[in-house]
Amino acid sequence: MLKLTSPPRHDERLNSKTDIGTPMTGQDHTHQQWEDALTFVALKRDRQAYAELFNYFAPRLKAFGMKMFGNEQQALEMVQDTMLNVWKKAALFDASRGCASTWIFTIARNVRFDMLRKKQSRKDDISADDLWNGDYPESYAEEAADNWDIQLLSEKLAPHFSLLPPPQREVIEKVYLQEKTHQEVSDELAIPLGTVKSRIRLALDRLREALDGARN
Amino acid sequence: MAHAIKYHPGMALLEQFAEGCLNADVALAVAAHIDLCPHCQQLQRDITTDLAGRLMQQRLKPDNTNWDAMLSNIMSQQEPAARTEVIEVPAQQVQVAGREFTLPRALQRLASKHGKWLQLGGIATAKIPAGSDYHISLLYISKDTEVPQHTHLGLEMTLVLAGKIADENGEYCAGDLLINSPDDTHTPRTLPDEDCLCLSVLSAPLQFKKGLTRLLNPLQQFFY
Repeated sequence: MLKLTSPPRHDERLNSKTDIGTPMTGQDHTHQQWEDALTFVALKRDRQAYAELFNYFAPRLKAFGMKMFGNEQQALEMVQDTMLNVWKKAALFDASRGCASTWIFTIARNVRFDMLRKKQSRKDDISADDLWNGDYPESYAEEAADNWDIQLLSEKLAPHFSLLPPPQREVIEKVYLQEKTHQEVSDELAIPLGTVKSRIRLALDRLREALDGARN
Repeated sequence: MAHAIKYHPGMALLEQFAEGCLNADVALAVAAHIDLCPHCQQLQRDITTDLAGRLMQQRLKPDNTNWDAMLSNIMSQQEPAARTEVIEVPAQQVQVAGREFTLPRALQRLASKHGKWLQLGGIATAKIPAGSDYHISLLYISKDTEVPQHTHLGLEMTLVLAGKIADENGEYCAGDLLINSPDDTHTPRTLPDEDCLCLSVLSAPLQFKKGLTRLLNPLQQFFY
């Protein structure tokens, strides 16, 4: 399996790794493992990676569901819906916004919330999407596509990176290496914000293709 | 110029919100506050991460669920979409009294279905058809207007969406979330030079306290 390494850009992960107060457990390894598994499901519909995720998370989600619903049928319905979302929407997972278990937890919470609301079957009702769109997969699709990269800028991809068309490479460098906002890049290069975003998407597509090629 | 939001939901409220255990109507006000408040966004992320961590650390009891059946059922469902395109929906504007306001993300979908504006003096209100237990509405108060002193038969949550409003206890700006319990009595008013748009979440009608304003009590449905 190709091992994706991500630059330690995000503070959370950095902190947890440098936290010398606690003895080193399997935690960090596990976080990375689930992130990678989601990546493989997203990129390759990797059934083995998905089965690993499922076997770990499904029983835990069920225990959570039992606590929340107090009955097994609804708890299992919640697990099924949640894990189906993980299968279908793995591409929307964005490691820069939190770890894999947090992402899966928020899906379960939203599924549960909507299950409870549907029982009251009202039109125009408040939905999980209204409340948590900010961290629910549907909403951050675009950002996920924009931020997808962290992993793609790994060692494996560095060679492909230099083969990007110069305008795309320039934008990618500013955003991902110099950590500038899309707006700053837009101002600096005097190009529209939309162009910055589409160049990023194009570059990421190329890199993604390159990754697929590397794995085949 | 950015101003600091001073009135936030308490930790307990944020925790219940992150857990998904809060009453939906109250949750909507909290969600809209979070949209406006970077501080609470960060807290929200931290709480959620913590809750997820607890979920994963649960001790598992022996269990006879047929997981393999569920697993193969899921993987037999349609192939996941390679890429989900997101259509950008232009932000909804709310128009009242010749003014135009952009609402926080959490309110966009529901507020676009608001009922018609009812006007009473310098105050206008429009229901948001979202609640089951509580009544949710947009409340617009023209500049230099006083909402008659009232008390609450239930819980009142007011989130300032734009402009500024003040009461006996202080001044509230966009993003500030006020929670009044049944015992609180107050007289909110706008300043001479600034109007105000609020989200109001009520669990019971207001009750007006003073002199002639008690005549408003039959009108309390207006605010509810």
